[in-house]
Amino acid sequence: MKNLIVHLIATGLAASGMASAQTFTNYIRQTQMPSGVTWDASDVVANSGTQLSALAINPGGARFDLWTIRTLPTTEYLLDTSYVSSYIPVSTVNITSEDPYTVIPRTRADRPFTVSITVNGLLNGASDPLPSKSVSFLRHVQSYGVGGTGVGLDRNQASLLSQSSITTNGLQTIQITLNQVPGADRAKVRGEERFSVFSLADYQAPASQLASKFIQIWPVATGTISGITPGQTINFLCPTLTISLSDLYPKSNTSIQCYRGSLLSVTAPQRSATGFLTYLPWSVNRDGSLPIDKLETLSNYDRSFDSDGVWTMELVTSTPFGLDRLAHVTFTIDRTITVNASVTTID
Amino acid sequence: MFGKLMAAAMMVSTAQAQNPADGNPPPMRDAVTHDQLVLKLREVSQQNPMAKLTSVVGADPSKVNRPESLLANSDIVCFGGVAVLVPKRAILQTPPKLANRIGMQPGAGFASWSDFYAANRGWITTVEVSRAQAEGKQPVEEMSMDHIKKSANLIVAVYLGGPISVLPPVVAPATEITINTQTP
Repeated sequence: MKNLIVHLIATGLAASGMASAQTFTNYIRQTQMPSGVTWDASDVVANSGTQLSALAINPGGARFDLWTIRTLPTTEYLLDTSYVSSYIPVSTVNITSEDPYTVIPRTRADRPFTVSITVNGLLNGASDPLPSKSVSFLRHVQSYGVGGTGVGLDRNQASLLSQSSITTNGLQTIQITLNQVPGADRAKVRGEERFSVFSLADYQAPASQLASKFIQIWPVATGTISGITPGQTINFLCPTLTISLSDLYPKSNTSIQCYRGSLLSVTAPQRSATGFLTYLPWSVNRDGSLPIDKLETLSNYDRSFDSDGVWTMELVTSTPFGLDRLAHVTFTIDRTITVNASVTTID
Repeated sequence: MFGKLMAAAMMVSTAQAQNPADGNPPPMRDAVTHDQLVLKLREVSQQNPMAKLTSVVGADPSKVNRPESLLANSDIVCFGGVAVLVPKRAILQTPPKLANRIGMQPGAGFASWSDFYAANRGWITTVEVSRAQAEGKQPVEEMSMDHIKKSANLIVAVYLGGPISVLPPVVAPATEITINTQTP
């Protein structure tokens, strides 16, 4: 029998509504195996911390479940679960992406991420029980559906993409170049990939989760500018623009940049010249946990164009992954008034 | 002037959002499309990132031994707008007059067990049980049982102060007696 130092971090869930700490109460439930006795392992569960479990673990092990309960409406969220036993290895899973957001690992549908798995305590003796010599590594994918946020997601419905065996102690790093969350439009998938380490089943306990982490995958933003048609000549006031945006990344800044001349490639060196770009007096600044859609209008931006000629307007969104051009339009400004007149006198 | 000021403000705003952790300006690109990602996924599928691990075929182990609902596996004790969860089978006795305090009441908020118990000692009594008693391997002491039966309070089993479920007593299997008879 052994005790366990419980080290759990009550991080937030997919729900954006998890921000208000006062409305949530955390619980750690210890379930003894195989008896099924359950005990509230910690009276007050802070958002992070370390604690020794006072209930000694049977040879069959124990499962520790970290839950949080929202008061209104009464809703439960399983934040984490981990099985501990005398000869079962211990494991951690960590996921990192280019987005430094710390609450939940997240990335965009077109971006890579890295999964790090650490396993310790694996044995290799001929007489050692099988569950002490190997663990299972699982990759699950699950879509949130069109417009889904992951709130209230039934993770039992996740699809198992692959199952592997780990038989050596230490760190393994896996690069995932592209997510495989189901979805007809690959640029618009929204969902999560979950990576878990499970023990092997034996007579004491069924296969149980040792560690697990998930990463949220959010769609690539799209947008359009309407109000000016390509090639249009603007003689007087600039027309009102309608900017339609879909799936703006949770951490993003979206704006409209303009420059003189025809459309340039995204890598054109002129872009870095000082004063080359000007910006319309409009932007959408996002710093949240979910993607959003926006429909905005913009007028009275004439002063952004300081001379006549051909101009290009680009709708761009800046995210932790770089600057993406969502839409563009090239048009001509001709505000010079030419007066054709003749003067005659009767002298 | 207004236009230049606004443009400068926008440039600063955009530049702040652009700066990644390494301080280098982020690359600019056209937003990726579905078709581009389909091609990329096709390439990626040929380079299985899991190839370094030994593939295993079998049932999904995550479908078994999953934690069941915390609420479904708990009793809710609620009084005065405050509620607390205790594991099922932790409540050893509920007097009829306190039955209306079991279950969630509208508008109540959750508290920790120690806070709830401290505020409601007048009608809640705890009985400290051992691990073996919780597992049903040992009976709860006679003295405690007498105390429970006579009490008009809600009785909650605790282990080191924390509510714990108490399983029914394990019935010892009947001893098998083998009689060897020898015929002369």
